[in-house]
Amino acid sequence: MLELLKIEWLKLKNYKAFLIIGIFFIIGIFVTNYMVLTVFNKMVDKTEAGMLLGKFMPYDFKHVWQTTSYTSGYILILPVMLLIMLVTNEFTYKTNRQNIIDGLSRLDFINVKIVLATLFAVISTIFVVITGFALASTTGTEFSLHGFSQVGYFFLKAISYNFFAVFLSVLIKRTGFAIGVYFIYMSAENIIAQLLDVWSMKIKADSKLDLGSLGSYLPMNASDSLLSFPENPFKSMAKSAFPTDYHYLTISIAVFFVVLFYWLSRRIILTKDL
Amino acid sequence: MNILTIDNLSKNYGKIQALQQVSFTVPKGTVYGILGPNGSGKTTMLGIVMDVLKSSGGGFKLFDEMPNDSHRKRMGTLLETPNFYHYLSAVQNLKIAAKIKQRGEDDIDRVIEVVGLAQRKNSPFSSYSLGMKQRLAIGSALLGNPEVLVLDEPTNGLDPVGIAEIRSLIMSLASQGKTIIMASHMLDEVEKVCTHVAILKYGKLIASGDVNEILVNEDVVELAASNLDALKNMLTSFPNILSLQIKDKVVQMNLPQGTANMESINKFCFDNNIVLTHLQLKKKSLETKFLELTN
Repeated sequence: MLELLKIEWLKLKNYKAFLIIGIFFIIGIFVTNYMVLTVFNKMVDKTEAGMLLGKFMPYDFKHVWQTTSYTSGYILILPVMLLIMLVTNEFTYKTNRQNIIDGLSRLDFINVKIVLATLFAVISTIFVVITGFALASTTGTEFSLHGFSQVGYFFLKAISYNFFAVFLSVLIKRTGFAIGVYFIYMSAENIIAQLLDVWSMKIKADSKLDLGSLGSYLPMNASDSLLSFPENPFKSMAKSAFPTDYHYLTISIAVFFVVLFYWLSRRIILTKDL
Repeated sequence: MNILTIDNLSKNYGKIQALQQVSFTVPKGTVYGILGPNGSGKTTMLGIVMDVLKSSGGGFKLFDEMPNDSHRKRMGTLLETPNFYHYLSAVQNLKIAAKIKQRGEDDIDRVIEVVGLAQRKNSPFSSYSLGMKQRLAIGSALLGNPEVLVLDEPTNGLDPVGIAEIRSLIMSLASQGKTIIMASHMLDEVEKVCTHVAILKYGKLIASGDVNEILVNEDVVELAASNLDALKNMLTSFPNILSLQIKDKVVQMNLPQGTANMESINKFCFDNNIVLTHLQLKKKSLETKFLELTN
């Protein structure tokens, strides 16, 4: 696998989009979190809302892992774009065929893309940890790994997004079209998820059947729903109306879809004409 | 040893049958031409052998074994069009190919030199002309000096000088004992370099074997006299005659290869009281033979 990754590195290292998106991603994670931090600092200091918030600081070590994981999730669209471009380019320029002709197996071809998607998720997670640590250090609070499991959820979310990107790329094969379908799908799933969530509340109220929030059982929303902004005085809603949060069920569903996307991508590459 | 054994290979694209139960064998050390007009299934067949297409039926063997990835690493292949990373240079692209083939990078400069791209070896592939792209694809096939070369329309997009260069390259590789499988719709290309040939038409194999057996050449003699019908009638009694027909105001007489003797033909006619106004020996062109076979 290391040899296969070296081949991917030869393709990547001179690819301008890789460099540009990579830089934007790293800066993006830092800047987004820094902006959230600044907004909160200003609020606490000067506004009336700050009084309400009291001592709540999203970037102290108690909350930082959750805040950074949640906030950085929005930047994951960048590695997704890059992955779609990398995989669909192989089809556009028929280099996938050339790789196979030169002696790569079809299985190696898809597996190394999946490993690349995993590696992107690992690197994203590492930057989240670094950013979280750096910003939390500025708050002067005591180091803590409280809520560090949120970083794990961020990793799961990154894996879900990236595997979905690889699956769409091998399914659609055209760069622009795949990116378009990705956005449309994400919007559609979010709308459906919200409708399902409302429906879940209705089911709970009407029949006392507590199925959890059905919206979070959808492929992308499963890992999305694991991440949220830390609890704070602003978020004091009437919790009892919400269905129970079946945490482990949601994690299992997210993992199930990750495996499904891999299996489908692999099946397409192994059985179809290239 | 056989390099490639194709056994009842078929491929459908929906209702279209691109290949219909094609079988033939490529022995080691041959230059095997796969001849056929556009759309006859040449590339489809090679695509299946290279595992980029899936067959609908039948199978094939490489090096007398069930095909696997390591076989392809031992072959240098140019299939259909040059496929390279457009933002990478010739050298960078060949590094990727060398790594996939699990060969060192030390052969890259040699093949770039052989195909005449040394001047532009560090320019991005996207800046290459069609001919240069084709040259790089041939260079990539030569990488690591493989024992088997599969070349699909190798002279596509090349200028006359390039075509001549590639032909002499193929012949020098063949003289080193390499097996070359070459698909082409260019008849003279196949005639000039191939020892064996398989002819495909609409996905069907219509002939395969030694090029001298398949593309048997005949001597064609063109004759004319004031009375063509009388000339034709008289010639029916000429010894060893294969066929005879009137075509474009001349009589065409086919004789076994190398047996046409202009002097004796002229004497034969004169002895039978016919004075010829035209007498010419014509080699039967491969093109005519090809049209005969495929029509």
